[in-house]
Amino acid sequence: MGVFARLFGTAAPTPAAAAEGELFDEAFLARLELLQVVARRVFRGRTRAERKSRKVGSGLEFADHREYSPGDDIRNLDWNVLMRLGHTLIRLYEEDEDLPIRIAVDVSASMQSRGGRKLRYAQQVAAALAYVGLANLDRVGLTCMSGKVHATLPAVRGKGRIFRVFDFLRQAERGGPTDLRAACKRVAAESAQPGLTVIISDFYDLDGAFDGLNLLRFRKHEPIAIQVLDPLEVRPAMTGLRGDVRLVDCEGGEAADVTITPATLKAYAEAHERFCEALAQNCRSRGIPYFRAELDVPFDELVLRMFRLGGLLR
Amino acid sequence: MNLAGWSASAVATLFAAGAGVITLLYLLKMRRREIEVPFAALWDRVTRVSDARRIWRRLRRLLSWVIQLLILSAIALALGDPRPDVWLREPRTLAIVVDRSASMGGPRAQAEGVAADVDASRLDAALERARAEIAALGPSDRALIIAAGPEVATLAPLGRDPSALLRGLDDLAPTPGEADLGRALALARNAVDGQAGPQILLLTDGAVDDAGAKAVRACVDGPTPCAVATFAGSPANLAITAFAARRYPSDREKVEVLAEVVNLGDAPAAVLLEVQADGLGIGRRELTLAPGESKREILSELDAARSRLVARLVAPEGAAAGHLGPSADDVAYAVVPPLRPLEVALATDGTDLFLEAALLILGDHVNLRGVPIAEATADNPAIAGADLVFYDPGANPLPTPLPRKDAVFFDPWRFDGSPAPIAKVKEVGRPFLTEQLKDHPILAHVTLKDVNVSRGTILDAAPGDELLIRSLGEPLAVLRQSSEGTTLAFGFDPRQSDLPLRTAFPVLVANIVDYFERATPGFVAAIPVGARRPIALAELGLPALGVTAVEVRAGEDDAPTIAPVQDGIVRLRATTPGILRLRAVDGQSAGAEIALAVNQASAAASDLHDRLGDLPQAAAAPADAPSPAPLSQGPLWTLLVLVAAGIVALEWASYHRRWTV
Repeated sequence: MGVFARLFGTAAPTPAAAAEGELFDEAFLARLELLQVVARRVFRGRTRAERKSRKVGSGLEFADHREYSPGDDIRNLDWNVLMRLGHTLIRLYEEDEDLPIRIAVDVSASMQSRGGRKLRYAQQVAAALAYVGLANLDRVGLTCMSGKVHATLPAVRGKGRIFRVFDFLRQAERGGPTDLRAACKRVAAESAQPGLTVIISDFYDLDGAFDGLNLLRFRKHEPIAIQVLDPLEVRPAMTGLRGDVRLVDCEGGEAADVTITPATLKAYAEAHERFCEALAQNCRSRGIPYFRAELDVPFDELVLRMFRLGGLLR
Repeated sequence: MNLAGWSASAVATLFAAGAGVITLLYLLKMRRREIEVPFAALWDRVTRVSDARRIWRRLRRLLSWVIQLLILSAIALALGDPRPDVWLREPRTLAIVVDRSASMGGPRAQAEGVAADVDASRLDAALERARAEIAALGPSDRALIIAAGPEVATLAPLGRDPSALLRGLDDLAPTPGEADLGRALALARNAVDGQAGPQILLLTDGAVDDAGAKAVRACVDGPTPCAVATFAGSPANLAITAFAARRYPSDREKVEVLAEVVNLGDAPAAVLLEVQADGLGIGRRELTLAPGESKREILSELDAARSRLVARLVAPEGAAAGHLGPSADDVAYAVVPPLRPLEVALATDGTDLFLEAALLILGDHVNLRGVPIAEATADNPAIAGADLVFYDPGANPLPTPLPRKDAVFFDPWRFDGSPAPIAKVKEVGRPFLTEQLKDHPILAHVTLKDVNVSRGTILDAAPGDELLIRSLGEPLAVLRQSSEGTTLAFGFDPRQSDLPLRTAFPVLVANIVDYFERATPGFVAAIPVGARRPIALAELGLPALGVTAVEVRAGEDDAPTIAPVQDGIVRLRATTPGILRLRAVDGQSAGAEIALAVNQASAAASDLHDRLGDLPQAAAAPADAPSPAPLSQGPLWTLLVLVAAGIVALEWASYHRRWTV
C-alpha cells in the first residue's frame, strides 16, 4: 500500500477482479467432458439414470411384505408364503423413481469479495455437477440465492441442456446478504418433489448456516453442503494486513474500527476454523455430506473427490 | 542559556510551523483505512475490546504525537545552538597540585552531623575535590595535575580531556616522606604561566615542613593566582623516628636495638613497641608519651640470629588504633650491621705482660697494636686510627700531645706536669680500695676490695664524672664523658699492685674493652626516604674496589634497577620504607649482596598539624567544591541531534510493536 493511501485512509483495493475472463470457455467444457468420463468410470456397474426412491411400489427389487387387502393386484401375492404358512401376504418392491437434483448457488455479496473468486469457483462446481447429472440423464435444476436474489432454473434433463445451465449461471442476479435459512426454505417450498439438494456457499452466516441445511433435511430433501473458502480469508495473516483499520462488511452493516495485530489475525484464523469445524460437525452428526472447498483446489478435483467419497450419486 | 545559532524567535517559528504540520498529519492519520471483509460478524467477535483499551489506544496516539513534537523541539533547539552561560566566561588554565606526603594518609576532619569514616584519609578528600574541579571545567578550560611527594610527578599533562585528567588521579596514594612543594609549585607555575587564565590550586592538609610552608607562601604572594584548599584532620599520631640495631661483640647471637618513638598529637598516648625478626617477636615494650614527648628506648640482649629487624607501633590491647595516625610511620626497618673489630692501641713500655695478655685473649673482635709509650702521641698513625688507646706508661711520662678520643690511663700522674685529661688531687701511699661502683658495667663480676696497692693518686673528679673506685671516699678511678671522647683513668699502676695476679684483672680489662665498644656509635645501615643521597658502599660492609654498578632490589619479586657507583659511592633514592638489597655487579665484590633499611624516620613528615593556618584569607580556596559544568564537551546541538535521533529510533522500534501508533 502506498504512502498516500496509508496517510489518507482510502479503502484497500480488492484483488484483481479483472482476471475473471470467460466463465465457461472451451477449456472449461473440455474439462467437463473429461470429468464426465472419469465419473462414468467411477460409477461403472451401477444402475444408470435411475435414482431409487424410498417409496414401495412397482419396482423390481423386493423390499417387504404386507397384509393383503382387497383390491391388491393378486399378481403380487406371495404364493410361497400362502402355501407354506397360509398367510396372504403381498410382496412389495422398491419403486424406481426419477429424483431431481437441485443445485443451489449462494450469490450473496460475501461470495463476491476479493474479486468474486469464490462465486466463480462455486459456479464452476455447480456447472460441473450439473453436467455430470445431465449426462447421467438426471433431472437437474439450479437456484441462485441470497437474502435479496432468488432465481430458479426449473429442472431439465439431457446433456444438451447444459448450455441453459451455463446461461442461467452467467446471467443470474447477484448480491445481497447471506440468508441461508430463508433461501433453503424457499428452495424447499419450490420443490414439488424432494430430491438431492446441493448447497454451494461460504456459509458466512453465523445464525443460519446450518439451519438451512437442517430445514431441507426435514423437508425430505437430501442436502449436500459444499463450503467454498478463500484461503486468504481463512488465514488473513497471509494478506499482511496490519494497523488501525475500519472493517466494512461487504454485505452491509455497521463498520468496526479495529487495530489489526498479528495476535488479532491469529485469533480470527482460529475463530474461523472453529466456525467451519462446527458446521462440519453438525453436518456429520445429521448425515449431511459436507465438503470443504478452498479456491486453491481445482474445481474438477473437488468434484471427483465428492464422487469418490460418495453421497452425490448412488 | 544562550542561543548561538538561530534566534529564539526563528526557533519558535520553526517549532510552531512544524508542530502544526505534525498535528495536521496526525489528524489525517486518524482516518482509518477501510477494509472490506466478507464475514464482519466473526471479525467483530474476535476484535471486541473493552472501553479501557479504547482509551489506551487514544492515549497511545497522543503519546505518538507528543514524541513527534519532542523530536521537532530537539531539532529546533539544535538549530538554535544553545550554550550554557558558563561556556561564555573566559577560559582558564588550572594546575592542580595534590600533596601526597605521608601526612595526607591521616584521618580527615568530618563535617558536623556526618558519620565518621575511619577509612577516609585527607588524600581521599583532596582527590574528591580534584575530581570536582575537573568536573567544573568548561569546554575551553584546560588543566594539569601534579603530584607532590618526595618526588614531583605530572599525573596528567595540560589538556582539556576530563577522562585523561581523571585517569591521572587513579591509584594516587600517600608516599612516605615530606612533599617537595617547592618544586611542585614551581612546576605548576611554569606550566600555567603565559596561558589563558592561569591558576594554581594546591590541595594539601597543611602539614608541611618549613621549606614547604615557605614555598606555599611564595606561591600565594606570587603573580600567578594561587589558592590553597586544606583538608586538615586530627593531628594525633605516633611515629618511630629512629630505629637501629647492632650485634654484641661478645655475644653475636644477641642484638641491641634503639628505637625512638614520638607522640606528635595533642593528647597523651599509650603504645606498644614491638620488635620482630623474620616475623617473630623478639622484644616489646609499652610506652606512655606525653604530647610532643620523644622517647628513646633501648632493648638490650634480644635474641636475633638474623640481621633484619622490623619495629612496629601497635595499639595496646583493648585500645583503639586511631591515635597511631598514618601507618607509614608506625613501622621501621633495621639491618644489623656487620661487626667490625675494635681497633685498640696499647701505649706501653713493654713491661706489663699481664695487660698485654689480658688484651690478647679478647679474640677476634679486637685488633691490638702496640706502640712505644714515647711515640704514642696524637699524630702517631696507630694512635690516630685506633678506636681505643690504653696508656700504660709505667715508669715513663705520658707523651704529648695526647689524642682526643677514647682512652684508658693507668697511673697518669706518676710525674708532675702530666698531660692527662683528669687532674690529680694528691698522692697517697698504700691506698685501700674501699668503695667501688658495683652496678657499673666496667666493674661487673669484679671485686677490688682486698687488692693491695703500694701507691696511688687521688684524682680530681668533675661534676658528671663516674667514680668507679674510691679510697676512703676519694676517687681513685674516674670515668669522664666529654665531647672529645670518653676517658677512664685509674690512679694507680697495676704493676704496683697485686691486681694482675687476680682473676679480676682480665675480667676488668674485658669489661673496659666491651664498655668502650658498646659506647662506640656503630654504623646504622638505614637511610630515610626522600631525595637521592650518596652512600659509601664500604660503610655498608661491601668492599667497593672495582665496583662500577650495583643492582638494587626492593623486594624478592621486584625488578632490579642498576645504580652506577663512582669512587665507591652510590647515589640512591628510596621512596618506600623497607629493606633494599644491593648486589655488586662487578669488581672484587661481584655477586656480594648487602641489605639497607629505609625508614620514614622524620618527625616533620609525621607531624599532622596544619602549619598553613596563617595564610591570608584570599589564598584559601572556597571550602565547597565547584558545581559541575552542565556539559564539558560541546557543542550542545550535536547532543540535541543525537537525542532527536534516539527518539526517532525509539518511536520506530515501538511502532512495529504497536506501542505508540
